[in-house]
Amino acid sequence: MHNAPPGRRRPTPAAGVPLIDGIDKVTGRARYTADLEHRGALVGRILRSPVGHGEILRLDVTRARRLEGVVAVVTGEDCRHTYGVLPVAMNEYPLARGKVRYRGEPVAAVAAIDAETAARALALIELEVRELPAHYDTASARAPGAVLLHEDRPGNIERAVHHVFGDPAAGFATADLVREACIDCAEVNHAQIEPHAALAEYDPQTARLTMQSVSQVTFYLHLMLARCLQMEESRIRVIKPFVGGGFGARVEALNFEIVTAMLARAAEGRVLMELTREETFITHRARPQTSVRIKLGLTRDGRLTACECEVVQRGGAYAGYGIITILYAGALLHGLYDIPAVKYDGYRVYTNLPPCGAMRGHGSVDTRHAFEVLLDRMARELGLDPFAVRRRNLLVAPTRTLNELAVNSYGLADCLDRVEEASGWRGRRGHLPRGKGLGMACSHYVSGAAKPIHWTGEPHAVVNLKLDWDGSVTALTGAADIGQGSSTMVAIAVAETLGVPIERIRVVAGDSATTPKDNGAYSSRITFMVGNAAIDAARRLKKLLIAAAAHKLGEDPENLDCLGGLFGSTRATQTTLSFADAAKAALVNEGTLTVKGTFTCPPEAQGGKHKGGAVGSTMGFSYGAQVVEVSVDEATGRIVVERVWIALDCGFAINPLAVRGQIEGSVWMGMGQALMEETRYLDGMPAHASLLEYHVPTSVDSPPIEAYIVESIDPNGPFGAKETSEGALAGFAPALIAAVADALDVDLDQLPATPDRVMDALVARRRRQRLQHQPAGDAK
Amino acid sequence: MTAPLPPFRVLRPQAIEAAVAAGAAPGGARYLAGGTDLLVNLRRGLLAPAVLIDLGGIAEFADIRCTDQRTRIGSGVTLARLATDPAVGARHPALRAAAVAVAAPGHRNLATIGGNLCADTRCIYYNQSEWWRRANGICLKSGGEICHVAPEGKRCHAAFSGDLAPALIALDAVAEIAGPGGRRRIACADLYAEDGRAHLQLGGADLITAIELPAEPVRSGYLKERVRQAFDFPLAGVAVALATETGRLSMLRVAITGTNSRPFLVENTAALLGRAVDEELLGQLDKLVQKQVRPMRTTLTPAGYRRIVAAALARRLLASLGASAAASVA
Ligand SMILES: Cc1cc2nc3c(=O)[nH]c(=O)nc-3n(C[C@H](O)[C@H](O)[C@H](O)COP(=O)(O)OP(=O)(O)OC[C@H]3O[C@@H](n4cnc5c(N)ncnc54)[C@H](O)[C@@H]3O)c2cc1C
Ligand code: SF4
Repeated sequence: MHNAPPGRRRPTPAAGVPLIDGIDKVTGRARYTADLEHRGALVGRILRSPVGHGEILRLDVTRARRLEGVVAVVTGEDCRHTYGVLPVAMNEYPLARGKVRYRGEPVAAVAAIDAETAARALALIELEVRELPAHYDTASARAPGAVLLHEDRPGNIERAVHHVFGDPAAGFATADLVREACIDCAEVNHAQIEPHAALAEYDPQTARLTMQSVSQVTFYLHLMLARCLQMEESRIRVIKPFVGGGFGARVEALNFEIVTAMLARAAEGRVLMELTREETFITHRARPQTSVRIKLGLTRDGRLTACECEVVQRGGAYAGYGIITILYAGALLHGLYDIPAVKYDGYRVYTNLPPCGAMRGHGSVDTRHAFEVLLDRMARELGLDPFAVRRRNLLVAPTRTLNELAVNSYGLADCLDRVEEASGWRGRRGHLPRGKGLGMACSHYVSGAAKPIHWTGEPHAVVNLKLDWDGSVTALTGAADIGQGSSTMVAIAVAETLGVPIERIRVVAGDSATTPKDNGAYSSRITFMVGNAAIDAARRLKKLLIAAAAHKLGEDPENLDCLGGLFGSTRATQTTLSFADAAKAALVNEGTLTVKGTFTCPPEAQGGKHKGGAVGSTMGFSYGAQVVEVSVDEATGRIVVERVWIALDCGFAINPLAVRGQIEGSVWMGMGQALMEETRYLDGMPAHASLLEYHVPTSVDSPPIEAYIVESIDPNGPFGAKETSEGALAGFAPALIAAVADALDVDLDQLPATPDRVMDALVARRRRQRLQHQPAGDAK
Repeated sequence: MTAPLPPFRVLRPQAIEAAVAAGAAPGGARYLAGGTDLLVNLRRGLLAPAVLIDLGGIAEFADIRCTDQRTRIGSGVTLARLATDPAVGARHPALRAAAVAVAAPGHRNLATIGGNLCADTRCIYYNQSEWWRRANGICLKSGGEICHVAPEGKRCHAAFSGDLAPALIALDAVAEIAGPGGRRRIACADLYAEDGRAHLQLGGADLITAIELPAEPVRSGYLKERVRQAFDFPLAGVAVALATETGRLSMLRVAITGTNSRPFLVENTAALLGRAVDEELLGQLDKLVQKQVRPMRTTLTPAGYRRIVAAALARRLLASLGASAAASVA
């Protein structure tokens, strides 16, 4: 069975291998989009709306067009087609038409011979807007009489979701303790280090467009370029150079990419668009500000009886991934614990702010945070150990959740054991000095959406392998390596299946002219889906090689295998054949070999029949448990994270080195959201739009992270593997808040837990304690 | 990409007099030291001088000289050097602590003491791109008519956010100035005015050449609060210098940055002299600080927090310096 982990027979070192493109990156050889050869390219710049909401009365570009050195100017007039990642919710134009809906929305763009000319041209564009009332928060957008951002969305509700599974009322009735919490999580941004950039070239002779961009989803970008430019798909080529981080920032076609292509076509040449950090922040598409009202029922011994959850997301001005995000937020209440009844009401609200989108842990993070925080508070109230409460509510795999999500492997119990022991929880919790505390929480995430957004009937993933006369194996994949290491994963999967050292495999990725289509780097789908497709392709190739080698060695193919790059009998030591010779033999009469491997999620894995039931469905969930240790300074409100212990069930670690990197990265990103990351708009102006004001933690703020890998060997995963890049994120913030509660007995209801919010909570606690200690008569 | 820099010429004089002469030339000139404040502001279009006068060619600016009477630090000495110089560290712990707290190592390798003292004041409505400021309405500090922080008033409240100034003020340092009218000396505390638009009491061509600190040993320290522990300006920064005689305070200077348009010496601390550092005294300092700081909504962090934390830091520093003084008496 191809799913069996390779175990000790693995030709790659047990500790894992460095990423195959790592040396290129650390030596500076790697070329990112802005580094690509762009001599002679025009400079693209975008004019952005200064107002939050308004009707465009006049947009006059004549003076800009006339400026010497300006080669092309485009506006909303040049594209009458909407774009968007969800076929049901494409309501955005690459350049505004008719209305502007957030401050910073692209309105026009120029291509000029240099940056100064482009800047001068922008200043010459005349824009007249009749301002409309703008709604910068969900309460104002939902208030009666609010001006609608989109005529077809009454109440500015992009999507309302109402799901009930089981009998919540009955569940709460059997509970010994029912508690509620209102938790507010600030909007955050991916803050990937590479700012957005795109290089587009249009050849008027062949009427072809070549697009190189920072995309995580070249296929979706390809689709939207064809749609917005009204070009035949076959005339477009999309290439993904090295990408400096994605985290969801680039999982849909972005306005500046389409605008760059529009400019290139209008200029009949090459245009380089490099966004500033501010513009990169404005492009946004990240985790929305989210208000969660959550209610849980618990028996005296910690058994969950019911969950009720209302989520309001401030989605920004356009649809983007919004419908998926609000569905995920409810769907992933399931799948971590065994809960008999769950009611979910979700509201995605349009507001006059940059559109939100997908971000690492898409949809799950803020609701998971609220859930875990409340569970921790209730455990304290009942005098129960938080680990015991989790253990009381474990699932047993294989199972299906109330909302029809398949859970095929489940290593959460092991994760709990590992971090409980490693952190010394039992001996230390409750015995730390004042101001120091320990907290824990759990989380999970999908290994790829079992039903892709653009359902076409094609397999979920395709990998091609080319074997040539020189004995080299080239793996061709559309999967976008954005730093997460997916190309290395493909190389390992092929090498291990073939039984050759990884050095024999070359990976070519992310070029629509040569690599098979791939849906891209999102929902942690690549290892599971592309990994399985790579294994499938390698098995097919291996079969051909074994047949050829058997012929050459006069052996029965049944008895042959390839180990360490040598074909030989599995029964006795016989003569062997080198891989290169086997390859030559296989090419006789055939020539260069190309084989294809695929992976398809079976329909039964694609979720329930209820509306939106496909969201959250996956072939396998990763599971994580973590413990966070903090010190809190009562005089300044500053939280210092002293240490983190995290165990993640990733099914099987194909490359342990990369798995650890991804776990640490998730924890670290969760820490940023928990402690300091936060977008801030002043009347709709992005005041946070620099790496100075948008605080991502630095190395000084980063604690030691001890990561433990738990391997539950998923029955369907490649070698038993599941996702590893997102599952650990959502657990950090609630573990931190629990640790602060342990340290100082304060309940924090807001993220991030910045020093000022901690101080406010401390002041509130002191006031509460004063009232408690006052004799009853004095209280009035 | 980042926004293009406005065009300018760069001069690189070798002597102080030549620098001052260039600084006084008509047409608008700016001194350029490490550039870590100035270049960011140029890119954001906050100013557009025709000439930048690079001070890197003036050799004596890079000197540190220690005598029995004083420490003399050239205005071009980098913060990285201040942070590691053994004599500075031993004599003036507050200055070293302040230098280490600035920005991040890459900045400190370039940034100078002179540039730090003369850095522009900061405001969340001001330190933004040109697009941003225009879209939001140009404010007083950028030449507009209104202040977004205090719309009813007519002054700018942008906060001085340099870390070194409070340390130097607490340590009673003096700045040496070379200007068109010749040389003069000004106490660091007197370099500043409470006006976010014009916080420096210096003419455009005035050049800080060196800083002098008295050598007699005092206990000193600097503490700063910020959202993250590197790469972040102070929400509030407090320097304390003190001396004790038989366990009682004989000298106390407390200076604060990040809360007002100028770094300032906390007033009325004389009442605390002659007393031991105890809870009551700390409480009094806390009150003095809370009364004298004037944080406004110039940062994304609420002003009220900056007030409370300034006092908390002052209290903590006085407690720890006072305690170590007591320990050395015993
Ligand atoms: C990301 C970032 C974070 C930062 N964080 C901090 C921080 O935490 N704390 C902090 O204090 N600062 C911080 N800064 C600001 C800056 O780095 C420091 O203030 C630095 O010390 C400025 O020194 P410089 O030599 O680079 O000055 P420059 O940028 O060269 O000059 C600053 C100003 O001083 C004038 N000037 C320079 N030298 C003289 C002189 N000798 N005489 C008269 N005028 C002079 C210049 O004309 C200019 O107006 C930060 C900057 C950045 C970009
Ligand atoms: S305090 Fe007022 S005038 Fe000064 S920079 Fe800020 S908004 Fe402008």
